[in-house]
Amino acid sequence: MKIIKLFLIIFILINFSQSKSDVKSEELKNKILKNIRCLICQGQSVYDSESDFALSIKLIVEKKINDGLSEKQIYEFLREKYGEWILYDPELSKNTYILWLLPLLLFLFGGAIVYMNLIIKKK
Amino acid sequence: MANQIGYYSLILGLALSFILSAVSIKDFYNNNQGINQKVLSLSFLQFFFVIISFLSLILSFVNSDFSNETVFNNSHTTKPLFYKISGTWGNHEGSLLLWLLVLTLFIFLFLIKSNEQPKKYRILTLLFQQVIIIGFFLFLLKTSNPFNYLFPIPKEGLGLNPILQDPALAIHPPILYLGYVGSSIIFSASLSAVTQNYVSKEWAQHIKKWILISWIFLTLGIMLGSIWAYYELGWGGFWFWDPVENVSLMPWLTLTALLHCVLVLERRVALTSWIIILSIATFILSMCGTFLVRSGILNSVHTFANDPERGIFILIFLFVLIFLSLGIFFLFHKENNKNLDKIFWLSKEASILINNWFLMYFLSVVLIGTTYPIFLDVISAQKISVGPPFYHKLIVPFLIPFLVFMSLGPKLNWIKSKVENKFSLIIFFIISIFLSFFILRKLTPGVLFNTVLISPAFYLFFITAKDLFIKKFKNLPQSIAHFSFSMLLLSILFNSILSLEIITNIKVGEKYNFDKGQIFFQKLEKNKNSNYNSVIGHFKINNNKGKIIYLKPELRIYNQPVTITSEADIKTTLLADTFLVMNLVKGKEYFNIRYQVKPFMIWIWISVLLLSLGGLMSLLKKKYEK
Repeated sequence: MKIIKLFLIIFILINFSQSKSDVKSEELKNKILKNIRCLICQGQSVYDSESDFALSIKLIVEKKINDGLSEKQIYEFLREKYGEWILYDPELSKNTYILWLLPLLLFLFGGAIVYMNLIIKKK
Repeated sequence: MANQIGYYSLILGLALSFILSAVSIKDFYNNNQGINQKVLSLSFLQFFFVIISFLSLILSFVNSDFSNETVFNNSHTTKPLFYKISGTWGNHEGSLLLWLLVLTLFIFLFLIKSNEQPKKYRILTLLFQQVIIIGFFLFLLKTSNPFNYLFPIPKEGLGLNPILQDPALAIHPPILYLGYVGSSIIFSASLSAVTQNYVSKEWAQHIKKWILISWIFLTLGIMLGSIWAYYELGWGGFWFWDPVENVSLMPWLTLTALLHCVLVLERRVALTSWIIILSIATFILSMCGTFLVRSGILNSVHTFANDPERGIFILIFLFVLIFLSLGIFFLFHKENNKNLDKIFWLSKEASILINNWFLMYFLSVVLIGTTYPIFLDVISAQKISVGPPFYHKLIVPFLIPFLVFMSLGPKLNWIKSKVENKFSLIIFFIISIFLSFFILRKLTPGVLFNTVLISPAFYLFFITAKDLFIKKFKNLPQSIAHFSFSMLLLSILFNSILSLEIITNIKVGEKYNFDKGQIFFQKLEKNKNSNYNSVIGHFKINNNKGKIIYLKPELRIYNQPVTITSEADIKTTLLADTFLVMNLVKGKEYFNIRYQVKPFMIWIWISVLLLSLGGLMSLLKKKYEK
């Protein structure tokens, strides 16, 4: 175990020096577009769609990035304009506590059940 | 003519359900050895009538008999014969008839294949299955009769949605349904086994076959749907966490959990309640799949029927089945002796429990992610979307321990074991971490996270590979299945990390340069086919290493119904797929193209095939590992 821990620490150190490279705005744009729904399509993201709606959203997102808005601010802007429905990645809010936390609670609950059914004794 | 034959065959089939139930109840109280021959014949007869009905629907489709409403709505005279036939199940009514066909086929097969099982258990299974069959008969006849008559007879049909005119999608529903409906047998059989207090080692060996059959078809069915989505929907992904895909993944997760639990039951009487619950859950989830897709509740690319009346019927039917099964479970199920049920922590059983724990967690993520927006909409009229980021965030981190457990679990013995070969297990782990790190270092910016994710996948890969090649085929099906699962994950991970994608607008004759090569739009070609006209783009792609690839994506304008589809052109090699699709931009002379290089794409399909092969081998294997 000690060895593994050591390796992990080394990795973390190596990574801090590398991962700081700045993300290009194009990549950011694509990331955002993949996370918003094309409202007039059937189950497509804006990124994957060529509909008029998607094209106009693409322009809006590009403009907002050039204006220097952060990813979060852009999502916020879109949500105010089009509603929560447009975001594929729902934020943690009073509407979505259950959505995000219930699976995790179930995981803990399941773990407890598994634990209770095991015999753990030292030899 | 075919219309009437089909319709009356259905009525006869329904009538046979009642006769069959009556005869088998009588036989149940009879003290004879073995099932009355009459029951078998009646069960065959029922299957026979449903197949007659199904064949007459196919015949109507082949003849383009537009006096049949289903044919009118979903077919067209200019459609190729192959798609006329596959159109039979490419719609709501026909696909339900197919469900029914498989339901009656499977129960008949069950009856003739279960000779060695106790008589009462077999008869009760038949009766439970008949409850499901009657439900489907009523559903078909009441809300979705495939043989509705139209008068005056239309001259021409409305056509089949062109994106459904595709070879993979033609065989996708039947395969998937074989998986779904196979779970009905598991459901009926486990309820019957509970009432007969027959949840035992013998039962486990017998039901394992049905679980495997169901699992193999479900796995293949999901894969076919995914392949179709990959090349037909035109944006190069193969899994969208779309509700309809999720709905097919959920029974797969419970079925996989069930398959592993039954391995325990084969050796010792443990986990009995859990196995029954999983059997019930698998079938209910398969039914929910049908319900969610057919009722129009889901907003999805695949939904092709929107009718609330049908939804309500299935919902009621579903509740009946849930109450029936839970009622039977609580009334009849006898708990085992608590102490016998306990499992030593360092044993294969324990690792299977952990496997179930994670699978159930994945299930809960998918289930909650799929249904929560519906509930929120109903309760508070707020619409939210739950898309890929949600699933990735909640599932991906948990894959890491899951894979480690999956690597170590099969190393343990049943009942009780000691850790042997600690050294090689640790060495493999360290190698995996180093390997992932050095592969990833130059490829992506997010090295740390990806290393943490890919190392356990490599770990599983090495350990199962070692088992496959060194251990002299001790438990081959299991090794193959686990090995291919690691291959699947590795291909998916590398595919998502290394994919290259370029989207641009381009005119004929133009060249587009990107940092790894050049795309040249050479010319446009026009073509006429019987049911569509097409525009084919000729593209020449140079990459920096001097390799030239020619790709010809297509735009198809289907005549019935008028729809424009984009057909991607894909060149597949063992290393990567090159994918090009073009889209029409309204009112502009340029086209929007999407060029993708997707590494290891074919390995995703190969590993799923291999995974099912593992299942198939386990099915054919006579003896099991002690």
